[in-house]
Amino acid sequence: MVEKTATVDEHAVLQLQARKRRNVWLALALVGFVVIVGVSTAIRIQETDFSGGDRLYFSGYLDEAEKEAADREAEARYDALKAEEAARAEAAVNAETADE
Amino acid sequence: MSVDMTAETTTPKLATAGDYVELLKPRIMMLVVFTALAGLVAAVGVTGQGINPILATVAILAVALGSGAAGAINMWYDADIDAIMTRTSTRPVPSGLVPKDEALTLGLIMSAVSVLLMWIASNVLAAGLLALSIAYYGWFYTMVLKRRTAQNIVIGGAAGAFPPVIGWAAVTGTTPLDAWILFAIIFFWTPPHFWALSLVAHKEYEKAGVPMLPVTSGTKATRNQILLYTIVLAPIGLAPLVTGLGGWVYGVVGAVLTLTFIYFAVKVWRSEAGEPEAGDAERKLAMGMFAFSILYLFGLFAALIIEHGFGLYFAIGGL
Repeated sequence: MVEKTATVDEHAVLQLQARKRRNVWLALALVGFVVIVGVSTAIRIQETDFSGGDRLYFSGYLDEAEKEAADREAEARYDALKAEEAARAEAAVNAETADE
Repeated sequence: MSVDMTAETTTPKLATAGDYVELLKPRIMMLVVFTALAGLVAAVGVTGQGINPILATVAILAVALGSGAAGAINMWYDADIDAIMTRTSTRPVPSGLVPKDEALTLGLIMSAVSVLLMWIASNVLAAGLLALSIAYYGWFYTMVLKRRTAQNIVIGGAAGAFPPVIGWAAVTGTTPLDAWILFAIIFFWTPPHFWALSLVAHKEYEKAGVPMLPVTSGTKATRNQILLYTIVLAPIGLAPLVTGLGGWVYGVVGAVLTLTFIYFAVKVWRSEAGEPEAGDAERKLAMGMFAFSILYLFGLFAALIIEHGFGLYFAIGGL
């Protein structure tokens, strides 16, 4: 007994519909991929200290010694900057005192 | 031109997105994701290092995609033997729902995407380990080992053992001893787990020409090996108590599961499971051990997640 008949044309239509449904899933997957990469990158940028030894994506902790050295250099630069500012402020205070 | 065709006999089934998901071996993927999650959570608990929850989710997603990619490559390569075995003949490729080249393409693209996502979400070590595990399963196990040696499951078991190490590396960027203990648990768990199934399905493997242990060495040798590997697995399963990775919860769960696993292995060893004259009881016993082995692994890794993820870690020992 034949319950249902389908023509070649109908089958082609069914195939097309099935392909369209799969393409929708594929498109959603691609959009999802783009969103995930975007969000992950934003978080990585936010969490990365570019002044020190951190490097986006290529960092990890594989070269810990190099990262620590770069971090120390960054801290030294920061300390030197603060010391310079403090010295300038002190010089200004001394100059004011001398004027008085 | 319109030609009448009967729907029952000539209209082929049309592939859905679900058939493509089936290519990714979702049941294996769940276990892989669960063990990777356990590694990740344990790493946070043990080392105190943090990971952004969104990045952790992306890292776990990458592991899932990597597992699926390896599964798709496996289905592409094994389509010929899958078609021979009843258990696998309804898979998407041998059943004709998904073309072989599409399975391969999906596997390769997903491999690249998963490794890239892991790199973006964590670090190059975790991404490298993920790439290695995909290659190990998709190429080394599937194309080199599976059809050549009866030790395929033993050596190939390493592929499924990587996920907790990857999870750990995603957090810390390192793979210390604790991570490799988790690796060893899965590595030594795989042979008794899979051979218990192959005791029931070895005729199918024989028909397909796959040299599984019961096919090459007989069912008695397989039962011996199941017992041997279970005995080796027992102390490894409890090793986290020695290093301090596992606490009281792990200790209690691990002891109960280990003793039960040994009980099953001894019962299978003493049985005629896999023999031609074996009855339904033996078949059920082998399948019971197969099912329990999944519970064993799930229980151990769930204990780690409970301890380190929910603050229920109470130390027993530790190196």
